[in-house]
Parts: sequence; C-alpha cells; structure tokens
Amino acid sequence: MDALDLDVRRHVYFSVVANGRPPTTADTALAFGDEEAEIADSYRRLHDAHALVLIPGSTEIWMANPFCFAPTPHRVTAGGRTWTGTCAWDALGIPGALHGDGDIATECACCGESLRLAVHDGDLTDGAEVLCHILVPARRWWEDIGFT
Amino acid sequence: MVYLRSEEHLSRWLDDNGWEPGATLGAAKMNELARTWWWNRLDPGWRPRSLDDAQAILTDLGLTGEFWALR
Repeated sequence: MDALDLDVRRHVYFSVVANGRPPTTADTALAFGDEEAEIADSYRRLHDAHALVLIPGSTEIWMANPFCFAPTPHRVTAGGRTWTGTCAWDALGIPGALHGDGDIATECACCGESLRLAVHDGDLTDGAEVLCHILVPARRWWEDIGFT
Repeated sequence: MVYLRSEEHLSRWLDDNGWEPGATLGAAKMNELARTWWWNRLDPGWRPRSLDDAQAILTDLGLTGEFWALR
C-alpha cells in the first residue's frame, strides 16, 4: 500500500469519526487538492486491499470496517454518535476502535427479537447470554464480504 | 456474522436456511475478539496487518483449527 493510499485511508477514517459518514471521492479530492479520478483509483486500490469496501460498481464507500454505511440490524451508540455496525463482530468492534464504551441495539437473526449488549471499560457488561455465529470459514471471509 | 438469543434459535436459524454450522462464540468472547481486532483501526500510523499477525490474534484468543485458518 503506497503513501497516497495510506493517506487517503486515514482521511476516510478521520472523516468518518468527525462527520459520521465517509467522504465521497469529490470530498477527498478537494481535501487533497488532487484530481477526483486519482482519488477514485485510490479508493479502488483500498477496496482491493480490503482496507475499505465499496458498493459494487461504484466508488461509494459501503464499509470502513467496523463502520458500515448501509442499513444493518446493528445500531451502536459510542463516542457521542449512533453508528451502524457491519455485523456482529464489527458492532462490538466500534467501541473498540473508538477506545470507549458502547451500547449495541440489535436483533436475533432467527426471530428478530430485540437484543441489547453493552461494553464498559472494554468489558461486556450486558448481553453475555447472546450468541454470535460465524457461518463462513476464515479463509473465505473476503469471497463475499457482504454475506460474511 | 449474526447475533442469536439462544442455542435453540441458532439451531432453528441454521435449519430454516439450510446452512451448516460455522463457529459460535459467546458475546463476551466476541467482544474480546472485536476489541483486539479493531483496536488500532483509527491509529494515524495504521498499516495493513499481515496474515500472520491476524492469525496470531485469533490463536492468542484460542480460536484455532481449520475454521479459523486464514490461509
């Protein structure tokens, strides 16, 4: 990963934390004083390197894991905002990434019943009875990250 | 990677969808994994994690065996 891509990735994540949403390629091009096409190429390389996930066929950011920008059942309140977690793993990862406490409002994949989890000082303080299931073996996680 | 309220609901969810079981973790273990995995994601000096380093995180948490093999 070259220096531009690392800088672009850092800008994306800092923008997510500052604004609650990812920057468009136009936003990032403006911030860097670069051509939008060059930034779009960088977004694609970051996607290929699994450092971001783009909506298929676009340069719009779908995931800057653990943060997700499309609807999921996982709502995470942490760091003064409510975020969307990509999956069970990422929802718990948001308090971790923000180095703070968090509350997760989610649902049972089977019946849709509401579930709540809480993290305080790094420990799970609510929801210990909840199970997390991973269907896809680790070596295949990136074959279809949306399903994983 | 989903949440389920009980083993019974996990079994029903797998049966309803015709899926083979993968790996199940309690939420406390998943929190431990998630916190470790994502802890440095916002570090200004973040660099891509090697597969060996990623595998070491899983191993250190006792997540070993074929299911957890990254390569």
